[in-house]
Parts: sequence; C-alpha cells; structure tokens
Amino acid sequence: MKPRREFGNPYEVETPPGADGWETMYPSHMIFGQELRNRDEGKLWFFDQMHNPEPVYPFDLIMPESWLVSLNQYTTRVWNLPTALGIEQRIVNGYLYLSPNVIDDPEQMAVNQPIFQERARYYFENWDRIYDRWVQKATDCIGRLKEMHFEPLPEREPLETVLSAAGTTSSFQLLTAYSRLLENMHEMAYYHFELLNLAYGAYLTMLEFCKAQFPAITDDLVARMVAGIDVILYRPDAELRRLAQRAVELGVADAFGGDQSPDAVLESLSASAAGKEWIEDLEQVKDPWFYYSTGAGYCHANRPWIEDMRPPFAAISDYIARVQRGEDLRRPLEHLQAERERIANGYRALLSDEDAPVFDSLISLSRQVFPFVENHNFYVEHWHHTMFFGKVRELGAVLVAGGLLERDDDIFFLHRYEVYSLLYELQINWSLGPGVPTRGETTWRREIDRRRRLYDALAAWSPPPALGVPPERVTEPITVTLFGINNETVQRWLAAEGADGSDDRLEGLAASPGVAEGRARVVRSVEELDALVDGEILVCPLTAPSWSIVFARIAGAVSDGGGIMSHAAIVSREYGLPAVVATGAGTKLLRTGDLIRVDGDAGTVDIVERAGPRPAGGTPVEVGA
Amino acid sequence: MSQLHVAAPASKAVPLVQATVDCYPEQVAEVGGKAVGLGRLLRAGQPVPASFTVTAAAYRQFVAGGADEVPAAVIEAIAEGYAELCERRRATIPVAVRSSASVEDSDEASCAGQFKTFLGARGVAQVVGEIRACWLSAFDPHVDAYRAERSGAAGDAQVAVVVQELVDARAAGVMFTQHPRSGDRSLVVIEASYGLGEAVVGGEVVPDLFEINKITRQVVKRSMGQKSHEYRLHTDGDQVERREVDAARASRWAIDDGHVAALAEMAAELESALGPGLDTEWALGSVAGSADEASLFALQVRPITTDPRARLGPPGTTAAAAAARPPAAASAVDLILGRLSGPGPALP
Repeated sequence: MKPRREFGNPYEVETPPGADGWETMYPSHMIFGQELRNRDEGKLWFFDQMHNPEPVYPFDLIMPESWLVSLNQYTTRVWNLPTALGIEQRIVNGYLYLSPNVIDDPEQMAVNQPIFQERARYYFENWDRIYDRWVQKATDCIGRLKEMHFEPLPEREPLETVLSAAGTTSSFQLLTAYSRLLENMHEMAYYHFELLNLAYGAYLTMLEFCKAQFPAITDDLVARMVAGIDVILYRPDAELRRLAQRAVELGVADAFGGDQSPDAVLESLSASAAGKEWIEDLEQVKDPWFYYSTGAGYCHANRPWIEDMRPPFAAISDYIARVQRGEDLRRPLEHLQAERERIANGYRALLSDEDAPVFDSLISLSRQVFPFVENHNFYVEHWHHTMFFGKVRELGAVLVAGGLLERDDDIFFLHRYEVYSLLYELQINWSLGPGVPTRGETTWRREIDRRRRLYDALAAWSPPPALGVPPERVTEPITVTLFGINNETVQRWLAAEGADGSDDRLEGLAASPGVAEGRARVVRSVEELDALVDGEILVCPLTAPSWSIVFARIAGAVSDGGGIMSHAAIVSREYGLPAVVATGAGTKLLRTGDLIRVDGDAGTVDIVERAGPRPAGGTPVEVGA
Repeated sequence: MSQLHVAAPASKAVPLVQATVDCYPEQVAEVGGKAVGLGRLLRAGQPVPASFTVTAAAYRQFVAGGADEVPAAVIEAIAEGYAELCERRRATIPVAVRSSASVEDSDEASCAGQFKTFLGARGVAQVVGEIRACWLSAFDPHVDAYRAERSGAAGDAQVAVVVQELVDARAAGVMFTQHPRSGDRSLVVIEASYGLGEAVVGGEVVPDLFEINKITRQVVKRSMGQKSHEYRLHTDGDQVERREVDAARASRWAIDDGHVAALAEMAAELESALGPGLDTEWALGSVAGSADEASLFALQVRPITTDPRARLGPPGTTAAAAAARPPAAASAVDLILGRLSGPGPALP
C-alpha cells in the first residue's frame, strides 16, 4: 500500500449508472464548471459526511446554502478573521463537498487583525450576557416558526376576507407565508454561527495548548475536561429515562412489552387511569424535548421523535428493562463532575508554575463557552430544523391538495426557488376557478419521478472522502474544529485510497475510550438498524447521536466520518462506549459479520477475523444478517 | 525543585564499604551514580534488593597497590558487607556486582552499559574476584573513549561498585516517568522483556512497550516486542545463562496488566519523592535463594538524559511547548485572539 499525494480529480468523477442529468436538480453555483476548472481541480474538496452522509435532496440544500451564507459572513464580513475566507461548496453526484479558503497574504492579515480583535474581544468579554440574549433570540425564532401553518387553498375565499376588506386572498398569503418560512430558516442559520466560530476558537486554542504540553493527550481527554455536565442537549434522553422510571412506578410497564407500535402502546395505556397519567406526563414533555431527530438534523428524512415515536418508545422499553433489573438510570452528575475535575487537576499538576495559570485561564474560558457548543445543537439542529422540515411537509400537503404533487414528501425533490414557481402555478390554477385543466398536474409529477430515479441511482454511489489536491497543511480553523479535517485526517484518507481492503487495521480518531470486540454490523441508514443484534459493533458512515435505541445495545461504534466534537463522539462518551470516528472507509473495508476490535483509546479498529472470503467482484456482501 | 539533589544530612569521610541507603548525590565521586540512585530509591521507600557499596576509596587502594592483588583491608570490608547480605537470607546468596562509576548515571550523561556487570557471584572469593574484574574494566579503552567524548574527563574515573542481591527476574526492563522522546509528562513508558534486565538495557531484544496515562491510569499504547532470548539464573543460582524464548511465549506479553499498573504506581511514588523526569530499571522476580513469591523491584533510578527539556533549559519545557508558550500574563481571550489572528500550528 502506497500513500498517494492527491485525491481523484473532481472533474473526472464518473456519473453512476442511471444518474445522467443529476446536475439539473441543483443550482449551477453548486456544480463544478469549466470556467473555474484550472483553479478548482487543484484544491482540496472534502466530503461533508458529518452533516450530509446521503445525497442532498434539492430542497434540503437550503441547509448547506444557508450555513454557507451565515458561517462565511461571520468569517469574512463580521469578524474579519485574519486567516480565513469563506468555505466553498460543490455537489458531486448528489453529495456535498467543501473546500476551505485561507488568507496567506501577510498584508491582508495585518489589515484584518485589529478589526477582528476588537470585534471578537467584545463577544468574549460579554459572553454570558450575549449568550442569554442568544437563547431569547433563538427561542423567539422557533416560536414564530411554530405559529406558521400551511393549509390547502379553500374552495372559496372565506367571507371574512370580504367583511374585513382585507384586499388580498389566501393564495397571496400562502406565498408570503412561504417567504417568511424561508426567512425564518435563514435567520436561524445566523444564530447558529453567531457564537459558534468563537466558541470553537476557544476550544482550538485550549486543544493546541494541551497538545503542545502533552503530545500524547487525546482530543477526547481535552473534551472531557471542558464538556458541560448538565447541558440541555442531554435532556431528551434524560426525559426518556424518567418516563421509563415513571412507567414502572405507575405499574404500566407491561404495556411496552414486545414489538408493539407506539400507537398500540398508547392505546393499551389509555385503557387504565394509571396509563392515562403516564400519557399526560408524556404530553407535558413532548414539546420541546421530542423535537429531537434521528440524524444530524440537515435532512428532512431525519424525523423528530415528536413525528415518529418509534425510536423514543423503543428506548423507553429498553430503559424499563434496565429499571426492572434494578439499575439506577439517573445520570451520575456528581460523579461526572468529579471525574472532569480529576482529569483537569491531574494535567494541571504536571505543568510548570509558568504554564499552570495559562491552563487555568484557558480551561475556565472554554468551560464558559462550551455549554453553547453543546446546547446550540438542541436549539438549532433538533428543535428548530426538525420543526422547519415539518412545516415544509405541510406545504407539500398543500401542493398535493392542489393536484401538483402526488405525496407531501415530493416537495423535497424541488429546490426551494422551484417550490416558489410551483406555488405560483398553484395560485394560477386556483385563480382560473374549479374544473379548468392545467399542464402542471402532469409536468411536475413527471419531473418528480425523474428526480426520484436519479436520487436512487446517486444513493447507491459511494462518495470518496475527498477530491482534488490537499494543501501542505490544513490550518483553516473552521475546517479543523467544525469539520474535524486536519493533516492527519488527510493523510489517513490518502492511505485509505491506496488500500485494497487486505489490511487488517483501520485508523481513525479516538473518540471515546475503552476497548470492545464483537461482530461488525454495517449500517448505512436508520432503516437498517433493525437488523442489528445485541453486542454487535455499529459500523456506519456517521454515528448519529440520537440512535439511542442502538447505543444501549451495541458494544462499540466505528464511523467513516465525524470529528472529536461531532455529535457522535460526544454522545458515545456519554454512553460510555468505545468509539473510533473518521476512519474514512470503515463501511467500505469492513463487512457485517467481521470480528473486529475497536480501541477507543488508540483510535484503531483491528479485523480479528473476516466473516468470509472476499467476493471476487469487490462488492461488499452482507453476511450473517 | 527536584529532590534528586537533596543534600546528605552531614558529610564525612567515605569508608571502603558503605550502606547503599547512605549514598547521597554529593558523594557521587566516591560511591558512583548507581549507588546514589539506589540510595534515593531506598530512602523513597521503594522495594530494592539489599546491597552494599564498595567505594572509590577501595578502588584507589587497589590501584595504589599496583592494580593486581586486592588489599586485605578491602577484602575484609567486602566480606563484612557480603556476610550481612547472607545473614538476612540465612544463605550464601548469589549477587550482582555492578560498576557505579562517578561519571555514570550523572544528570548529563548515561553511560549505562559502558561498564561491565557481573551476575551470579557467590561466596566471598567470587565476589571479590568479580569486583576486581569490574575495576579492571575501567581500563577498557572503549569506555575511556566514551567518557572522553562526553566529559573530557578521560582516564580518571573513580570506579565504585554496588554488590546487590541478585533478583531471579522472570521479567525486567526499564521505565520512564515521562516520554523519553516527546517529553510528555502525562505518560509513563514501560519496556519489558523476559528474564534479567540486561537483555533490554543492552538492546539485545525488542521489548514489549506500554504507555500509561498517569491521570486516567489507562494503557494508551502497547506494542508487542520480539523477545527472542532471555538471561536467567541457572538452577544452581550462581550462573546466568542465555535461553531462547519459544515462539508461543514470545508472542505473549512479558508482564500482565496488574504489573503494568503496579509499575505505573511505582512511577507516581518515585516522582512524588524525587521529582519529575526519571529513568528507572525494574525487575519482576524473587531474590535468589529466597522462597518469596515474585514481586516488583526497583533496581535503578536516574534523571532522563535524553529529555528534550534538558536541552532547552528551564524544567517543564518541551520543544513544542516552548514554541507555543504564550506571554506569561496573557489572558485566555488574548491567547484565543492571538491564535485566530495567525495560521497557528495545524493539528495534530
């Protein structure tokens, strides 16, 4: 195996069979174009597996596009970061690739420095006050989103329009409401990054200081020193534990036995007074704590618990079994707190008298800003974004009622500005009056069918972790902290590109300590989780934090992507599971049934025993499913 | 401040033979670095095989007498020391005779392995014979050359000798209380192989390697060595023999996790008694001739000589840390703004 110097050329990526014309689903600025070929093929483009492991649905592109705008504006126009320009995006065969840009002209850096320092200092020095305001702004934004409703256009304009002399009609209000929906999303995207870059900057500085002092310190240990103990990101899971405990106390635990659907469980609960009491308790906490998604939050397919009760009910059922075995499910907050202090004090004691105060100052600021990093994830990705996608689905139902779409989910095959065209067309049709035939009833459905076939063809493709030519060193701070891409990652990917699967070791980032041995279960989507057997090791493109049903049953986790501060890594530590992330090609090189050993301290995955002979065609075969 | 340099309670003329527990750093010219190290270990309450030290005063008498016959007064002092060791075990025990030259084990240079060690001497006559051979090895030209290169003090080494109960080691090796290359103070690094430690110290085998995080006490790295052979005491107890290690045994770890943890604990105790940055030798075994279960022994301790800190000056400074060191009074906000104002070190 010989490590290579560059990745595949982004302009020479083959289109998967059946996916010709996939580019038509996306705006041209997202596609590699010949105008920029000389420049673009010489840059590093890495696959954003952490946030978008699947091909991006055209509507869902609002997520990357809105973060591109808000994140980059904070970098380039608000903070004026001296070293970085904006991160670019391109779509390749449906998958999102990103490329950082740096400022390397010393003069430009010098111009930006005082501007940046004045502005960023203001935020750091007023952090607590600004964070309090942030929570208000985010909650207010979510509140306005919650009040938005999309209903099918009425048969006739209500009498109220006349009596109030409103002047405009339901179809006009539908279009303006849609604009407000998009604005609401863009507004939240700004809040997402208002504090995040600075918070990660604090963490990065802390991390680098620790690594300079203790070259062998793992990212995981630094994270454990600064991580918040009682943060709201853990609240949804805490509610499930509490509800399980309550079901046992009320004597209604039996309702959760077997493989019943949530509806069946609720029906049997509602037959008794105690069961009704439990349901009432559930209703109390559902909003907001069940706005919690089964994914990174950037895809509409990641439905929140409040819309799909199967994941939380499965977790409750598992927790009930643990309560009945006599386990105490409450998180040992005091123990976690003591452990955090023990690690920090242990490292501090090894520092010189000169370095210890620097460490104190950095850890104290990191702990001040870090609750934001953890909590924003609940406010933004879970609470707001899952609710947003729910509203879009309501809008899809409006288009179904108007005869333009077949199913409410079809709306996600359209870019948000195409949806505006569609809504305008709906308005035209509605204006003509009942019974007038229109073209849109067939053209849009045909287009959706075409896109669905393209999407399925793209979903079968395995995107390489990166394309183009890596820079000598990856230094851009947002790429390093937020996306977890650094020199080591790039080297590992280059090595994996040359690998043929004959190696019996994969290397990744040590994300959560411990060692586990077990059979691999390769899972590429939430649907495939059903096949998982207790005690197996989850091997997936991305360890999604809220696959909580799974975390209670697996022995360890391995993911292709993810950084040490990815949601995945944080939650693996929370569950005490050994985890190795950012292996690059775990789902490609490991097969279900392989006996593997995950070393969450060393960041390695060893293949102890292959499940069976490697198929001649090179296509992974599922064994022992 | 490091306690490696704590002064002796009082200075006095050095006798021909001295109890090792009384060997202090400022006597290094007379008792040698090895005896100083053992003295430190003994005073730190570590399990150390019993020993006595034949001082440079004895060596000078030997040289003054023509460097041929060992003077009677010296033999008498050695016999007394050896009798005490035997008395403790109620047996005529085999011992290790190790040179403890004044230039060896100093803070600046480790001449480990440059002087000869004689293992397995038993009875006064053999012990005296081995001590004599040890003195004569000081005239070995390649030792002179090494010394000249390190200190310019060629030819005038004062050879003291430590006579120590021989540990019948089933495994042995070295331990660093910080990483010897990166200078990482959060790690304990252990090298272990089968048999006596000579196979590891002499670089004859590739030892098993363990790195332990001092704070979490987790083994963060382990790599299997190539333990092709070992040195063990002959069943008679007075000879050391080389044995091949069969493949099945070679593929197992030389020590188990319990011993790894116990060694890490020993490292913590040593650092709290003697200060940071120690290079130690250890053995797992029982004292030859005793019926005790195998246990851990500390055989040697000295400051790490390849420590990058030593080259950089002030203690607590690794190369990377020195480069990244912020101005002393910088606040976290200044540090972060400074970090984000320049490209900074890319991770990792």
